[in-house]
Amino acid sequence: MEYLLTRLDDRILSLNKAKKKALVAYLVAGDPSLDSTLELMHGFVDAGVDILEVGVPFTDPIAEGPIIQAAHDRALKNNTSLSDIFKLVEKFREKDSKTPIILMGYMNTFLANSQALQEAHTSGTDAVLIVDIPGESNLEKFGIKNKNLAFISLIAPTTSEDRISQICNKSSGFIYYVTLRGVTGSSHLDISETEENINYIKSQTLLPVFAGFGIKTPDDASNLSKISDGIVIGSSLVEMIHHQSNQKEFKKIYNYLHEISEAINR
Amino acid sequence: MDNLTDLPNSDGFFGEYGGKFVPETLMHALKELDETYAKLKNNPKFIEEIDQDLVQFVGRPSPLYFAKRLTDHYSGPQIWLKREDLNHTGAHKINNTVGQILLAKAMGKKRIIAETGAGQHGVATATVAARLGLECHIYMGAADVKRQSLNVYRIKLLGAQVHAVDSGTATLKDALNEAMRDWVTNIEDTYYIIGSVTGPHPYPMIVRDFNAIVGRELRKQSMEQFEQYPHAIVACVGGGSNAIGIFYPFLEEFNVALIGVEAAGSGLMSGKHAAPLNDGEPGILHGAKSYLMQDKNGQVIDTHSISAGLDYPGVGPEHSNLKDSGRAKYIAVDDDEVLSSFHLVTKLEGIMPALETAHAFAALEHIAKNYKSNQHIVINVSGRGDKDINTVATMDGISLD
Ligand SMILES: Cc1ncc(COP(=O)(O)O)c(C=O)c1O
Repeated sequence: MEYLLTRLDDRILSLNKAKKKALVAYLVAGDPSLDSTLELMHGFVDAGVDILEVGVPFTDPIAEGPIIQAAHDRALKNNTSLSDIFKLVEKFREKDSKTPIILMGYMNTFLANSQALQEAHTSGTDAVLIVDIPGESNLEKFGIKNKNLAFISLIAPTTSEDRISQICNKSSGFIYYVTLRGVTGSSHLDISETEENINYIKSQTLLPVFAGFGIKTPDDASNLSKISDGIVIGSSLVEMIHHQSNQKEFKKIYNYLHEISEAINR
Repeated sequence: MDNLTDLPNSDGFFGEYGGKFVPETLMHALKELDETYAKLKNNPKFIEEIDQDLVQFVGRPSPLYFAKRLTDHYSGPQIWLKREDLNHTGAHKINNTVGQILLAKAMGKKRIIAETGAGQHGVATATVAARLGLECHIYMGAADVKRQSLNVYRIKLLGAQVHAVDSGTATLKDALNEAMRDWVTNIEDTYYIIGSVTGPHPYPMIVRDFNAIVGRELRKQSMEQFEQYPHAIVACVGGGSNAIGIFYPFLEEFNVALIGVEAAGSGLMSGKHAAPLNDGEPGILHGAKSYLMQDKNGQVIDTHSISAGLDYPGVGPEHSNLKDSGRAKYIAVDDDEVLSSFHLVTKLEGIMPALETAHAFAALEHIAKNYKSNQHIVINVSGRGDKDINTVATMDGISLD
């Protein structure tokens, strides 16, 4: 797909040059509030996160386990909308013009806001990851193709070889490899299957391959980083955010991220 | 333009509706299902096996019955009833499950999952799973577990496990979410028997094909019993499986009016209803693009209906295409109309319809006057009402304890 280079490509290039693995961190916008999401995003970056993945809440997130579902519900109680999230990104950009931002969510929310999505890059959004659309889909058909945004695709352990190459051909930014059969936050990590599959994907594309779903401990992170170009942490962060949100004490989360960041570049 | 009966296309689209909007992990399983079905659907042995089950296990064909007193009551058209309520387990849902369980068997799956609203699909799934000795899990919204307790107990008696789903609105939509999450997690050994013409391709097509026996029988029976096709066919629409089952074999018979009836709940104006074709916008939920009850941000709106089986914010994609093309009309009736219709039909005909089905009967109040006494209307009696007597009693202020 034709698209202009974004901050995401810059960041991937510089990580590559420094021979560093990428740390991608997920949180849900508006959980518990947009203000704390903004604070957390900056805090994540200071703790060593390279790329931010901002969850767009949806009423029916079928790929999420209970932890992230609950976060979507909390964010929706605050009526967090996609246009609120564009404003959040704009605010974030006042202090940070370098860290790439990926919006991750479900097709219906993007479809309902397809007009706004055309302007998303002006807010400082770099990429979109739509969980419930097959990677080889023709986004043009749905009016959401956009040359200013990268569209990140998922590849799963069940993806067939012919579809892997189709998906790779349509992808930009990086490939997100789902490490397990299951929803976010499960724990069926199978390192040797993951390694085999990532190697196959890398034989089909020059794009970096990041691994996500089910990564909890610095050990998980370290093991996966050895066989991939980067890792994505989601549920365990979202859970910590929920537990810390009353005290507004996010230091524990930042320490955890710092540990992970060290673990993947050891 | 394609014939309406040639849809969906190979990508699973009925016009602009349908498709496969699912997490990547499910894509392979959908393709496998599509291929298995394509291979088996014209296989004489497969067809024979299903036909035999439909006759000997389900009790088909279901009768086409002349409702004399209802006809007299409206003093308009002749009203005929397609008696899906007489099927084994009491609803049309079994037509689909006897077919899909054979697909599961052909694919070597050992574990069966399903969602259910009214519990009829849960019962129909647990029934066919029991018959083949397969492990079976039924997801059901916690609110529906309460209002359809009779069916919950039936499902358990049949040896299946019922999982009450507390998330979201705790109704059918949330049961579907949870069933999909189970499927993503247990993709290798699990077959998901979807209960309506909803979900990603190829489900809307498969579930339609298995229910189309109803319309095929009606073509024959109407010719035999009143020597022409009906002037109108009326069916309630939740996900839309009983409606498409009886509509589909008539899609190219343009003199036959097709009327789907949605749940207007507390009234279309109240916003508390489950009528996406009457008051929704195209969107994507549970793997398909279709009319959907949603707000301007693309969030799915809470629904309300007296009947658990229609209490769903989406609808099968084929119905969205039939609406846009004008081939079928979709109206909506509210809870009060449904309750009076339930009582009317029970007293006049000695047939107690499910509350879902009572929506189709309630439509007669609106449309009967448009037809003459030499014209024929067929109501699809999708299921029987035993499961609903607690709800009806409560609505009528009567305690059964
Ligand atoms: C008796 C009966 N009719 C209708 C329905 C609605 O489903 P559909 O629209 O798929 O026929 C249900 C669903 O549970 C049902 O039990």
